[in-house]
Amino acid sequence: MALGDLFSNLALGLSVAATMQNLLYCLAGAVIGTAVGVLPGVGPVATMALLLPATYALPAEGALIMLAGIYYGAQYGGSTTAILVNLPGESSSVVTTLDGYQMARQGRAGPALAIAALGSFFAGCVATVLIAAAAPPLTRLAQQFAPADYFSLMVLGLVFSIVLARGSIVKAFGMVFLGMLLGLVGTDVNTGNERFTFGISDLFDGLGFVPLAMGVFGIAEIIANLTNPERRDLVNAKVSNLWPTREDFRRSRGPILRGTALGSILGLLPGGGAVLGSFSAYTLEKRISKTPERFGTGMIEGVAGPESANNAAAQTSFIPMLTLGIPSNAVMAMMIGGMMVHGIIPGPQVMEQRPGLFWGMIVSMWLGNLMLVVLNLPMIGLWVRLLLVPYRLLAIAVLFFCCIGVYSLNNSANEVLFIAIFGLLGYLLLKLDCEPAPLLLGFLLGPMMEVYMRRAMLLSRGDPWVFVQRPMSLTFLVLALVLLLLIVMPAIRKGREAAFQE
Amino acid sequence: MRRREFLAMAGATAVTGFSIPRATAQVANWPERPVKCIIPYAPGGGSDLIGRPWAEALSQVFGQQFVVENRGGAGGMIGTEAVAKAAPDGYTLLATPGATLTVLPHLRKAPYDATKFVPCGRTGDFVTGFSINAQVGPKTFKEMVDYAKKNPGKLSYGSAGLATATHLRLEMLKYKAGIDILHVPYRGSADALNDLLPNNVQMMNEINNIPHVKAGKLHLLNINDTQRHWDFPDIPTLTELGHPDSDVPIWYSIQGPPGLPQEIAEKLNAAMVKLAQTDEMKSKLRAVSASLPVQSTKEMAAFFAADSQRNAELIKAAKVKLE
Repeated sequence: MALGDLFSNLALGLSVAATMQNLLYCLAGAVIGTAVGVLPGVGPVATMALLLPATYALPAEGALIMLAGIYYGAQYGGSTTAILVNLPGESSSVVTTLDGYQMARQGRAGPALAIAALGSFFAGCVATVLIAAAAPPLTRLAQQFAPADYFSLMVLGLVFSIVLARGSIVKAFGMVFLGMLLGLVGTDVNTGNERFTFGISDLFDGLGFVPLAMGVFGIAEIIANLTNPERRDLVNAKVSNLWPTREDFRRSRGPILRGTALGSILGLLPGGGAVLGSFSAYTLEKRISKTPERFGTGMIEGVAGPESANNAAAQTSFIPMLTLGIPSNAVMAMMIGGMMVHGIIPGPQVMEQRPGLFWGMIVSMWLGNLMLVVLNLPMIGLWVRLLLVPYRLLAIAVLFFCCIGVYSLNNSANEVLFIAIFGLLGYLLLKLDCEPAPLLLGFLLGPMMEVYMRRAMLLSRGDPWVFVQRPMSLTFLVLALVLLLLIVMPAIRKGREAAFQE
Repeated sequence: MRRREFLAMAGATAVTGFSIPRATAQVANWPERPVKCIIPYAPGGGSDLIGRPWAEALSQVFGQQFVVENRGGAGGMIGTEAVAKAAPDGYTLLATPGATLTVLPHLRKAPYDATKFVPCGRTGDFVTGFSINAQVGPKTFKEMVDYAKKNPGKLSYGSAGLATATHLRLEMLKYKAGIDILHVPYRGSADALNDLLPNNVQMMNEINNIPHVKAGKLHLLNINDTQRHWDFPDIPTLTELGHPDSDVPIWYSIQGPPGLPQEIAEKLNAAMVKLAQTDEMKSKLRAVSASLPVQSTKEMAAFFAADSQRNAELIKAAKVKLE
């Protein structure tokens, strides 16, 4: 695309997005999105499902601008609960809890929230430009991935997830496998067999991510806090300044840039784009840091990197949806539903037939991001003060919202019970010093890995060499092997030293 | 809305508890309060595209809200079960594709008796056909069959999942045309499209293919419907190609729970038949590639039974299995 075209397209988009009416829809979407992001468990999918019928009466442009606003608004809001109360509302904010919550406990919730918002804003801007300038070629890039390549990427992802753990590697391995086992629950895509469902129809489609994540992170944390009076004051250090220091900014610059790049690329892939983006950003920061052992104790890099990555991925996941009509996650599937209700079948023709809609939406994303940062920065003081609410009250409020949130996902009361069960599991794991983050990633990636492996084998007519014959797949597998060796080697060496000492 | 619904439901339980003499008057005055339409799938899918415009139109006709509620899970069985167990007072209805009633019961032990639902009205059929990636070579149905005969097992076909209508369409094609095509099940049609466009699988049969047919990336080979597609007047139907009764229609309808008074079903059917003939409704459904068949409740019951029997035979012949 010529540069002149790009500018005329953006100008067209601006003329659509900057009408008073569409600005209002954009603002409404961003505000609703932030609100549902902050409420634990009430995710963008449930919200969009509720609001979808309300958008039928709106013009197509306004409807889509608002729905998009809810999505990226929720990305901003989601990190707030992850940082303040250790509750990842979305899969992509799981890793934010690792250092973000620790920062909050040290009285540095303000800087963590500010960096998350600023990093997200930067990533959002970059990703919007990417969508505008390079959507078609990026789509072709994503289409180079065959099932075999996805499988190998997931293998790499799982090995990465072990690096996330702070403590024992053996326990991290154990957690990954436990997560993969939990992920097996449900109906097998290839044969239709039910696995570990015990005839309970709520389990036919597998365990939900949100009940699991809320249980093992949020509920477990609440139980731990309540059993231990000393932990109960969320902020045991004095609340320092709300704004990041110059030192914080200096340390965050690199992670934000790297997170944006990683997230933008991985967001293009269907399935786990935003998740893979956020935790590979975290892993990367931990790997290249001079003090990797301090990750998980409140490092601002561990917030800046993943938060930028998940926002970048949230935006670039629009690319396959807009250019091909392929949703890369449940939210994009809702967007497609929203378009089709207005008689627009998403696909390559949208850009030509409805340029005003296409470019208007893109420009509105940038405007929405700007609104979000303006909205969110002054709110930080308010959020931090929330931590001063007596814990006995806060805990009940959080539990209450968790239950509503989980119920709103599928209108299923059983899923509310699941969070209670997972909460107990999470508390047990906490007592055993097993970290839940690798468990969640095993849970997310394991089933995807299985699906891609069997699909690749089906398409190769049973030939396992397909995994090493494709260059991309081979590269991922080799990387995974090298990383695995890097993780295991020091452990072996240490083990041998220990043996010699005896 | 939620609250109102809840209050309405609470009211319903109180009323049905003790007032049998009022029942006939209640039937005649139906609907007196909001009607809940359960869609047994997640929001944003095909069932929504067809169900929601109907809910809107019916709300206008009856002056009461028809509220859509998505109750996804277990391939549609959870939502369907919920309606099967609901009070048959006309205030809980099922807006479903045929799959939950005429496909799943042949494959799984369903927690409801599909034959007991009370048909109220057809809401639309998705119209599409087999498409093939342009890189493969064949451009017509006949060329594809010849290609498949020359290269048995070389073509792969992506479906939206095991035992979905589009899977059955493939099995029907293999059976009728005597060709060997590999079936690759996906989690939904979008997932399959993602592998069809880069030619990882070669064929599909879903409405999300249509924009890519128009863009020239895919060739549409036929139409699985009794009539040709309005946007593709040159593409023949399967019947025209010599395979009658092989369409495996993807049809949607509104059904009442077992025991729904026939009076209510007829009242709803009359309104739906009238709506289905309006240009506004037709164009709304055409926009999502759906046609609008019109049937009385009696015709629906016959159609339903025939569809169920055909599916049962196909599932047996093709050895399709779940569990």
